[in-house]
Amino acid sequence: MVSVALRSVSKVWDETVALKALDLDVHEGEFLVLLGPSGCGKSTTMRIIAGLESATSGQVLLDGQDVTNQPPRDRNVAMVFQNYALYPHMTVEENIGYPLRIAGVRKPDRAAHIRKAAERVDLLDLLRRRPKQLSGGQRQRVALARALVRDPSVFLLDEPLSNLDAKLRVAMRAEIKHLQRQLGVTTIYVTHDQIEAMTLADRVVVMNKGEMQQIGTPDDIYDDAENLFVAGFIGSPPMNFIEGAVEAGTFASDGVRVQGAPGHDGSVTLGFRAEDARLADGTGMIAGHVFDVEPTGDATLIVVQIGSNRATFRADKRTRPTIGDPIAFDVPPGEVRYFDTATGQRIRA
Amino acid sequence: MDSTRGRWSGFIIWTGLTIVTLLPIYWMVLVSLRRRVDLFGNPSLIPDRIFWGNYAEVLADDRFQRFMINSLIVATSNAVLVCTLGLLGAYAMSRFKLTGKNNIFFWTLTNRMAPPAAFLIAYFLLFTVVFRVGDVTMLDTRIGLILVYCVFNLPFALWLLQGIIDGIPKELDEAAMVDGASLWQVLWTVILPLAKPGLAVTAILTWVFAWNEYLLAATLTRTEARTITTFLAEFVTVTGTNWGAMAAAATMTLLPAVIFLALVQRHIVAGLTFGAVKE
Repeated sequence: MVSVALRSVSKVWDETVALKALDLDVHEGEFLVLLGPSGCGKSTTMRIIAGLESATSGQVLLDGQDVTNQPPRDRNVAMVFQNYALYPHMTVEENIGYPLRIAGVRKPDRAAHIRKAAERVDLLDLLRRRPKQLSGGQRQRVALARALVRDPSVFLLDEPLSNLDAKLRVAMRAEIKHLQRQLGVTTIYVTHDQIEAMTLADRVVVMNKGEMQQIGTPDDIYDDAENLFVAGFIGSPPMNFIEGAVEAGTFASDGVRVQGAPGHDGSVTLGFRAEDARLADGTGMIAGHVFDVEPTGDATLIVVQIGSNRATFRADKRTRPTIGDPIAFDVPPGEVRYFDTATGQRIRA
Repeated sequence: MDSTRGRWSGFIIWTGLTIVTLLPIYWMVLVSLRRRVDLFGNPSLIPDRIFWGNYAEVLADDRFQRFMINSLIVATSNAVLVCTLGLLGAYAMSRFKLTGKNNIFFWTLTNRMAPPAAFLIAYFLLFTVVFRVGDVTMLDTRIGLILVYCVFNLPFALWLLQGIIDGIPKELDEAAMVDGASLWQVLWTVILPLAKPGLAVTAILTWVFAWNEYLLAATLTRTEARTITTFLAEFVTVTGTNWGAMAAAATMTLLPAVIFLALVQRHIVAGLTFGAVKE
């Protein structure tokens, strides 16, 4: 097991800054997920760790050793690509055995390793096939087995599930997590899917525009967002935001009045999650009109127009209000978050 | 009804095209199997008797064997050299950021824009005067001819192979590098097998170019490095043309090309990269 560290790593393409002085520590055996929208720099970060991209400045350390200028082959990292990147002219067996063949392992010695890796991902029956004869899920397994076969010190997975259908994705997600726990290999996983991030990670790094927005456990990221970006990116539906102002400790906006707001007076954005709101009888903390009703099966999402803002509330599955009717909600004070509208940063008590 | 008509018209068109293509070759074989006196009688598509004398005459000429070997060496070396350099060059052009990449490409392609005859005098002077060390020149050497053919074939090879390599996902290179491969190993174990169809096409076309080329071979060789095409021209003399022997020599010249084509053609398998990456 190996730790990974990035020290002020920057990447500039022509004029575009892809990464801004990123500092990151990944502990031995940890499952770290880099999460963010496309173009946020998460894949660039991973490619710099793999050695496929050189950092414009900064250092990459594997187990404390500077590998910044080393080619990928000297880093003993394994990578699974978004589009599988299987060698189409080789069979599954040859694909899995490729890293060993390159390392000069003799053919008879390779076979045992290949079988072991194939067994781990349930591919033993398909060893003679070629990639084009496999389904998407099977190809992804081959890519995983190829990464597993030579006991890498770091596992890099670049959106490995994004090309699979929804059902398979859930199944593979569990397998990857199980595999990582079993092997205990330091793993860095890139995704734009927050559900994947939340379910897989020991810690999540939320990135945007080449900068780390927050790093923490999935619970930290979900419950204790540092800024508007993280709060708005995580959760489905995302956190509700209501723009308003704080005056003498009271947040006010059209249809909303909340007391006990922290910080100074000024423009503030109030945030709360759909599932934390409770339907109020009569008047509530937040009042508006029903804009839309979205039954999801296990619950009903009620979209409410509150002045110029719109917010989504999660109610019992049997609740079916009429569109246009007035409606009011309460949110427990402990579940309300405040953000500085200008900087986007969290205002804490 | 329509589909039947479509099938028949397709059959007729293809049969017609095949006849147009093969008839001259058939005629050549026919001429090679006739005596001189039969040649100028009534033309007939079916030979009434077969005469092997023309072949015997050509085979007995030791120059035929020598020039045939020269042609084989020049054409094969040219194909190997062009494929090797073409693959390396096309890989670099496809994968690396090179300053003035587009200019390099255009510059090499300009070599193909003028007819080879335009370069004839320039090459002759280069071969006799410029590339001269003591008494040694490039004139009448096989290596000289191979290099000249390379100049003409490389732009085409680069153009063709770059298209092929561009079609091989870059992720495969990267996957191989992460799997521990060096650049040469990536080329040898991943790119080369996947570019095989393109290499086969390049090999066929460059080989055939060198095999058929007459103008440069006639100008830049004298006695030692002469190729088979220049030999064919020798049957036309001031006293007349030895049609039978010429046709026999031409038929035998065709054979290596057919064999080479048959050997290389099976590597032209389209769609080999399918399944490499999810589109």
